[in-house]
Amino acid sequence: MYPPEFGYYKPESLADALDFLKGGSVKPLAGGQSLIPMLKFRILQPKFILDLNPLKELSYIKPEENTVKIGALTRYSEMVKSGIVRRDLPLLHEASGKVGDMQVRNMGTIGGSLSNADPSADLPAVALAYDAKIKLISTQGERVVEARDFFKGPFTTELREDEILSEVELPILKGYNHKYAKIVRRAGDYALVGMALLAKVGETIEDIRIAYTGVSDKAYRPYELEKMLLNSKPTEDLLRKFSEEVTKEVNPPSDSRGSSDYKKKVMKNLTFNVLKEVILRAS
Amino acid sequence: MTYVGKPIKRLYDDKFVTGKSTYVDDIQINSLYAGFVRSPYAHARIKSIDVSDALKVPGIVAVFTAKDLQVKEGIGIWTTYEDPKQWKFLPRRPLAEKEVKYVGDPVAIVIGTDKYNVRDAIDKVNVDYEKLPAVIKMEEALEDKVLVHEELKTNVAFDQTFNGGNVDEAFKNADRKIEVEVTNNRLIPNPMEPRGIISRYEGGFLTIWYSTQVPHTARAEFSRVLGIPASRIRVIMPDVGGAFGSKVNILPEDVAVVLSSIKLGRPVRWTATRSEEMISSEARHNTFKGEVAFKTDGTILGIRGELIVDMGAYLTYTSPIQPVIIPLMIPGPYKIQNISVRSKAVYTNTPPITMYRGASRPEATFIIERIMSNVADELGIDDVTIRERNMITNTPYVNPLGLKYDSGDYLGLLREGVKKLEYEKLKAWAKAMREKGRKVGVGMAFYLEISGFGPWEFGEVRVTETGDVIVTTGGTPHGQGGETGIAQVVADELQIDIDRIKVIWGDTEVVASGMGTYGSRTAAAAASAAKVAATKVLEKMKKFAAKMLKVDVEEVKYSSGEFEANGRKVSWNEVAEFAYKSDEPGVFEQLILPGDVTYPYGVHIAVVEVDDYGIAKVSEYKAYDDIGVVINPALAEGQVHGGATQAVGQAILEEAIINEEGQLAVTYADYLIPTAVEAPKFESYFAEKPHASQYPSGAKGVGEAALIVGPAAIVRALEDATGKRFNHTPVRPEELIE
Amino acid sequence: MLVRPGEKVKIKVKVNGIWYEREVEPRKLLVHFLRDDLGLTGTKIGCDTSTCGACTVLMNGKSVKSCTLLAVQADGAEITTIEGGDGKLHAIQEAFKDNFALQCGYCTPGMIMQSYYLLSENPSPSEEEIREGLHGNICRCTGYQNIVKAVQDASRRLRA
Repeated sequence: MYPPEFGYYKPESLADALDFLKGGSVKPLAGGQSLIPMLKFRILQPKFILDLNPLKELSYIKPEENTVKIGALTRYSEMVKSGIVRRDLPLLHEASGKVGDMQVRNMGTIGGSLSNADPSADLPAVALAYDAKIKLISTQGERVVEARDFFKGPFTTELREDEILSEVELPILKGYNHKYAKIVRRAGDYALVGMALLAKVGETIEDIRIAYTGVSDKAYRPYELEKMLLNSKPTEDLLRKFSEEVTKEVNPPSDSRGSSDYKKKVMKNLTFNVLKEVILRAS
Repeated sequence: MTYVGKPIKRLYDDKFVTGKSTYVDDIQINSLYAGFVRSPYAHARIKSIDVSDALKVPGIVAVFTAKDLQVKEGIGIWTTYEDPKQWKFLPRRPLAEKEVKYVGDPVAIVIGTDKYNVRDAIDKVNVDYEKLPAVIKMEEALEDKVLVHEELKTNVAFDQTFNGGNVDEAFKNADRKIEVEVTNNRLIPNPMEPRGIISRYEGGFLTIWYSTQVPHTARAEFSRVLGIPASRIRVIMPDVGGAFGSKVNILPEDVAVVLSSIKLGRPVRWTATRSEEMISSEARHNTFKGEVAFKTDGTILGIRGELIVDMGAYLTYTSPIQPVIIPLMIPGPYKIQNISVRSKAVYTNTPPITMYRGASRPEATFIIERIMSNVADELGIDDVTIRERNMITNTPYVNPLGLKYDSGDYLGLLREGVKKLEYEKLKAWAKAMREKGRKVGVGMAFYLEISGFGPWEFGEVRVTETGDVIVTTGGTPHGQGGETGIAQVVADELQIDIDRIKVIWGDTEVVASGMGTYGSRTAAAAASAAKVAATKVLEKMKKFAAKMLKVDVEEVKYSSGEFEANGRKVSWNEVAEFAYKSDEPGVFEQLILPGDVTYPYGVHIAVVEVDDYGIAKVSEYKAYDDIGVVINPALAEGQVHGGATQAVGQAILEEAIINEEGQLAVTYADYLIPTAVEAPKFESYFAEKPHASQYPSGAKGVGEAALIVGPAAIVRALEDATGKRFNHTPVRPEELIE
Repeated sequence: MLVRPGEKVKIKVKVNGIWYEREVEPRKLLVHFLRDDLGLTGTKIGCDTSTCGACTVLMNGKSVKSCTLLAVQADGAEITTIEGGDGKLHAIQEAFKDNFALQCGYCTPGMIMQSYYLLSENPSPSEEEIREGLHGNICRCTGYQNIVKAVQDASRRLRA
């Protein structure tokens, strides 16, 4: 309930923040909805907290020609209210509205969610489904990491200690259907199993991207198995087969939400239901 | 205007909706803060405790361990309702001395000027533990291989068999029999306000602000434990943010805080964090294994079996209730005359158990209602028919274990309730939905419960010089609205405007005596004590009116604020003013009203749907109850809503999982208390022809009803939805998923 | 601005229309700042996992859980707590009373603040939207049906 003692840095600019980050044992604070609970339970005991909230330049939703660039400090509630996100990134829009509760969404940020990489969080799966490009910046410059290379393990990402996640770029996928489905035992919880789906469906499944949360030690996208569906005619049998196969690839952790076997059953049923709803209806 | 029977608005809501409420943590008093060092092990020897590093943390005033805080006696059990001679237990000392016996067992109290520094210092207390074997599961504890308390030589705290009739004959005469195993898993009451205490010791007098349901009982227990006369102890109950029975419990932490304030000569306060609240009061956790003998027409002839109740590592003030009352209430509202239940209470190295809303009756009701439904299923009879066949038809009735049920028409209510709640229509609709592929189910359950506990309650009514009325009650409402109900009863008795009445409670210096609010007894016992006091006050007012009117008191007639005799009138206010100037100043009456239990009953129905992921949703919850005289239907209904939502929690969401290391393996984030999304839509009705209790108010009590019967109704609905059998709570999604 | 471990920092926070200047440790939670430093005990602490919502206040017009914010984050911000009325009861407060939407009252400040925010975003919410909007606020006493009715009632009064 009481965080341990730490120092605090309020940066004057992004460059100033990055410079401070080089010092080591610094935890950046964005929305704080994951960081502050961890401080209260003393799971984390950093020497300094670097407050990113004054950096308004990190908060933006910029539509470009084929993509939308979102600043890391953009809040879930802003993405939910954004007409651009609703129109151009409907999967992100749907998922953002399902994170936590209204109070959490007023503070939590997209940069925070991705860099925290909670294995049961919603946005990492969405980033994988979109093949998002994640920009990391430091005093040494900037680099862009593909979502599929960004998430490494539970609460572990490609982010170096001296880097800040500054922006997420997501493609505008015209003509795609989408769904973000989240199974919880109680409203507001982390996902027991969550599924992000983007699909372009004509006579066949022209493109399909599926990503999950809650089933592994990080967000999971069955890249190889997607090929089973790609360019195929969508039938119930095919979708059922996929749903069974996809659960074989993962080993969800058993915890108070449910056993590993149970989560696999949920994953199977959810996959089938979502695919049916989105793909069969579209075709 | 009369008030009883109407949905009168609550008297004191203004402070709650404007943030002017004062719970114990809100009290602004200059004091030191306390925190606790707790055992990380389920069972360990304390080899040494080094507090030197902790003392160096800025602002830390003291760190006390067992040797520093000696008590005259350890905390005992609630002797009003529990007999210590029947129990093997160790009175609880404020801090662990030689051994810790559960994860969370307090070992040292840290006291400082700042909450954050206290928390820092807790990390710096070095305790050297030697891990010892621990016994976590109650079934294993029965074997006495690993003992929780060496001194007791056994883990079995209580072992008694409750016999009624002739169970062997019953089984001989049975057509059929089945085995049942019914379990209520461990829960946590989790009121919204974590408990707390502030203690100030000055010049030999102790003032304690305490988030409690029982200030007078707490005073008596503190007096006994500390060896300080009760006359020198004042316990003040501030606003209390819910309790559900958990705040009758007096914790060793509370005693440690009080002792610290005495030692330091400065006020000391402690407010539990939510994590601490979750280990300070856990509940339920028992299994009934037995057999049921019955005839092919569904008549239940006898029940026999064994009840095992987990007590956790120590007896608490309220845990001894369960192993005794559960067996007594198993026969319920049914004509079952032959019963034998061996009830064993057992220690384990887990957090201690306390009572939680219903305190035995939810367990007993779950057991008997599961038995009814299991037998019904065996015979292919429906839930209503089997209950009709077994229902008691004459009251008063003495059950085979000696409980005397008072007034009631159980069979009539079952039939009325089933009709009013449209049970058959719902069942048919659910069946049609299932045919379409949706896992929808409807379940019913009936309860008879024991409430309105005596042995007495205190009531005082006082008329001021200006004719206003102050009611002082021994009840201790903490959200239920009992104070409003009491005001309604007194207002009707005195025939005055309810706005003229102030109700006070909770301060042992102001309230001469009191038992408290628990066990659904406020509308029965507390309101009745106030009612009788009000009646006597009115008699006194009449006497004064007679003097003013210069007549004999028999000639005075009173109606709605006017005393009249021979065509002359005096008003209530005039009489009050006169009374205070007379040679007998003070119009008040104060009394202790003896009382004993009463038996409300009802039928509740739940509608559930289970989705493709095993997630169950209780969409509707309906109740039809005979609670005797309904003083305030809105407040009574509120109790049904709240209890039923806790029933949803107990049935499908809440579980205090204890892992192999004896740790509570869930935080508040994963101990799933229902939100507005999980809560069902409610319909709540009270019997058209209620049967009053023997209490002057006529009320029987409704505070616990919905949690008493709700889990049974919801679990039955889950069976209806899925075609599976469940004899335990909670039912988890993995059990419901196809 | 650098605050070293062990040092305090001066913050200026506007609470219910009044500016307060105080020195706090960076680790101090906003809820403790409001309750202990400013004596505004209307906002309650119900849990330690950011689950229950009893600590809900408005920060710059948005509802937030004050137990999951550092006081330093509120530097320069405008906070509204349950005590932030003008002396008269707001329609939401009246509606809670009239609809028996509280029992023990502990969740009530947070519930009212969140209801206020919900209605500011959505003046005419459906029952489902109300339940969805309030699931970050846990009540152990009422079973929520009366709270939903109160919010619906308040919505009507505010639109009248």
